[in-house]
Amino acid sequence: MTLPIRILTAVPICDGHDSAINTINLEFIRHGIEVIYLGYHRSVGDIVRAAIQEDVRAIGISSYNGGHIEFFAEVVDLLRAKGAADIRVFGGGGGTITHDDAAVMKRKGVDEIFFAGTSLADMVKFVHERYGKPHGKRTGPTSTDQELAHKLTEIEDAAGDPKKIRNSRRSRVIGFTGPGGAGKTTLIDELVLRFLNQNPKGRIAILSHDPSVVGEGALLGDRATMINSQDDRVFMRSMATRGQAGGLSPATHDCLALLARWGFDYVIIETVGTGQEAMPFQKNGIVDLTVMVMNPDYGSPLQLQKIVMLDLADIVVVNKSDLQRARTAHTEIEQRLEQNRRAQQLIDTVAKRHRDPGVNRLYDLISAVAAVSDRRSKGKRRS
Amino acid sequence: MSKLGQVVEAVEKYNKFVLDQVKRARTDENFGRDLLGRWNDIKAKIPTTRTPTGLPLPRLALPEIDEPGEIARYLFGEGLPGEFPFLNGAYREMYLEPVRDVESLEKNDGKIHKKIPQAEEPTRLFSGLMLAEDTNERFHYLTRHQRTHRLSTAFDGPTLYGIDSDADGVFGKIGEGGVAIDTVEDMVRLYNGFDLGSPNFSASMTISGPAPMIMAMYIAAAKRRFGPKIVPKLRGTIQADIFKEVQAQNETIFPIEPSLRFLTDMVEFTTREMPRWYPISISGYHIGEAGSTPVQQAAYTLSNGFAYAEMFAARGIPVDQFGPRLSFFLDCGLDAEYIALARVSRRIWAIGMRDIFGAGPRAQLYKLHTQTSGRSLIAAEFKNNLTRTAVELMLAYMNATNSCHSNSADEPFTTPSEEWIRLAAHGQAILLEESGMFKHTMNMLSGSPGMKAVERAVEAAILDEFREIERLGGVLAAVEERYQRSQIQSAAHRYEQQIYDGTRPIIALNKYRNGDDDAPEVKLVRTPRKKQQLQVDRLTKFKKKNAEKSKRALDKLAAVVEGGKNCFPALLDAVEVCSLGQVTGRLQEVVGRFRPMV
Repeated sequence: MTLPIRILTAVPICDGHDSAINTINLEFIRHGIEVIYLGYHRSVGDIVRAAIQEDVRAIGISSYNGGHIEFFAEVVDLLRAKGAADIRVFGGGGGTITHDDAAVMKRKGVDEIFFAGTSLADMVKFVHERYGKPHGKRTGPTSTDQELAHKLTEIEDAAGDPKKIRNSRRSRVIGFTGPGGAGKTTLIDELVLRFLNQNPKGRIAILSHDPSVVGEGALLGDRATMINSQDDRVFMRSMATRGQAGGLSPATHDCLALLARWGFDYVIIETVGTGQEAMPFQKNGIVDLTVMVMNPDYGSPLQLQKIVMLDLADIVVVNKSDLQRARTAHTEIEQRLEQNRRAQQLIDTVAKRHRDPGVNRLYDLISAVAAVSDRRSKGKRRS
Repeated sequence: MSKLGQVVEAVEKYNKFVLDQVKRARTDENFGRDLLGRWNDIKAKIPTTRTPTGLPLPRLALPEIDEPGEIARYLFGEGLPGEFPFLNGAYREMYLEPVRDVESLEKNDGKIHKKIPQAEEPTRLFSGLMLAEDTNERFHYLTRHQRTHRLSTAFDGPTLYGIDSDADGVFGKIGEGGVAIDTVEDMVRLYNGFDLGSPNFSASMTISGPAPMIMAMYIAAAKRRFGPKIVPKLRGTIQADIFKEVQAQNETIFPIEPSLRFLTDMVEFTTREMPRWYPISISGYHIGEAGSTPVQQAAYTLSNGFAYAEMFAARGIPVDQFGPRLSFFLDCGLDAEYIALARVSRRIWAIGMRDIFGAGPRAQLYKLHTQTSGRSLIAAEFKNNLTRTAVELMLAYMNATNSCHSNSADEPFTTPSEEWIRLAAHGQAILLEESGMFKHTMNMLSGSPGMKAVERAVEAAILDEFREIERLGGVLAAVEERYQRSQIQSAAHRYEQQIYDGTRPIIALNKYRNGDDDAPEVKLVRTPRKKQQLQVDRLTKFKKKNAEKSKRALDKLAAVVEGGKNCFPALLDAVEVCSLGQVTGRLQEVVGRFRPMV
């Protein structure tokens, strides 16, 4: 079976025209392409960083606000400068990009410019034909991030044939799970902001998941909303589940093992929105700490009884605690946790709020737990 | 229940009231007779005019009814132009040329003595290119023969996103698609030579995310040139529509709640200090262009409007003070809904404002600017776009829009060129001045059974949208759930699919296509690198000059924002010594950055 093609799409800085790209993204994923969507108003640096970390085959840029000749050329140049010329660039901009412009852009290294009136089917065909062949042999990576990105691709492409990666982790691995729409992505991004501010040299990795069916595409859109995680000190990788149930991909375990011994201070893993029965992190104890993010709108207390992760999580977060139902939710979840007779923590947050005190508490708690586990296993990590 | 839910009830109640009046007119003899008397009075008072071919016509066309029930249905359900509930128009007369009085014509042997003062004066001249002095020169060129100077300003990308021209990676975008404004000094250059306090001058600024800062710069620039007494005389509009940015246009720079707070701070200031200023233009245009259906466009625009009204009222601004300072902006495309979209919007707005917000007559008016649809224009055989725009213009005027902008046919390729702009403006003149469709008789094209059918269907669909938004907890809650965004996006996707599967015919694209594109010769005006560098250099100088002062001003601004008081006065002080990007950056430290919705 052929592997899905991974591409990255984005709209340039100072440009909010995302109508075309949204339609094109949908069309791509319907035709077996995995699209990492970076969103609009994105700088050259953000786009190239994301493309290298995600190790995509190509970048599709949709530009409607002018300055496209410079912008596309800067993307191509920066990719070359970073030794990532294997990542190709294509794009379009309706009528704003003239045929003359396109000729210049192609000379500067852009593969293709689509003009107004190009059918969606033609674009899909182009991506399949141009970027659908397996990676050939690639030249050696020029940075450790690029090396890591290439290795993750090898693992993902070989999934189903698990490698034996030694589980000798050096980073603290924190797993985030919870139902869809609870705000996991926003919460993680806010924690990343706090981490970056408090650790001027620290680095963090994020492994995020979105659902997909075997042989079909996926929209991997977490990056678009993670404004604080677009930073050289953050390594982020988006994965589609490629048909595996339970919130993770068949390759997650090995990818995580690799990330955990790469030297990041933290590795954060985010599952897709999970159901009541999900236990995504139970396999071989792949995480050090589990955070379950809840939405106050889970229904009746009876529903809470059925959520297995509430037995297993170390920290339970009630996000969106500004919602009316949040107080009730807090009480009901507190009761539910008491049955477990474990030292589980319950925290209320409003992740969307700037400088939310609840998120601060969660950050402090995670740091404290990490510090303890650090001391406990100091000797082992040093070796 | 939010105010929106109450508006739904108010419209339902009003519709029932109309039916009751119809019934009463038929059963209550006195009431029926009074109505009939009033109807006859109205008809008797309608002046007659004469067309150039000599045909006498009434200045106002009314339905031919003489039965009290039907009269009640018309007067209460639609209203005469300029009368509640304003279905037929916010004002009387509108596009009519001055009276050619039949009697005086006869007295003068049929010769027309009155000169018709219709100068070629398209309502607003949208412009913005390169640096402030270039746009200023353009403004002077565009208005050189005009009595009134109504300037409409487009800003470049960095300005729209509240960042400075020296920010990372934006160099190529400086002055592209609009004018680059970084400081109050740029703002002085932009409108240099115009009398900002004159009743014949008004400035419109198409910017939303950083609107409070740009508004403050405009005021500061006016004060620099004319002294502090100029402020109450300033006339114009700033777009400042945060909801539609979050729903469709994506030029938001702070999280939604602080964005709305800064907007309300500005509106509180302008309604008090600048009674001639329109501090917000509630815009469906960008919602429509992002791909919404016409009903979604009308429903989201109205519901956004009601949400703003609720916010401003909650701040304690009297509805009769802010109500007349609200204006609307809609897209007009080719779908059937457009024959009545604005008519229905006007009626719902009036009922909601009167019955839920307690607004007086001036605050009930849905004052509308329309622009023809840019999305409906295509590159293939682009001259067809003249026809598309002409039909859209016709629809816009059938809705009695208060002003209109017609797109130029070469828009799919480029920033409109002189030649096609002129043709687009002439399209309006041909419709209003050359054709007899709008100049002799108000309502000439209103009230057909088909139009009424669309009105009923559109109103019902808008109320359904309101109910859905209400169910989600009101406009703000729905926006945060990205309800409107996802609705617009799926409508856009459907539209594209329909084009590709042919169920939506687009002539010369998926039907009657000849294959050859006849692209016009495009002469692109791009900002030279030298100018872009000049802008950066000026900004650097400004920042250096004000290094000390700007720090203090920003600290003060941050403290006011933290303290929760109206920050607009502090903003006015800050822009004297800070650049746009400096203010944005500091405010983002305090309230956060906008997290994009996808």
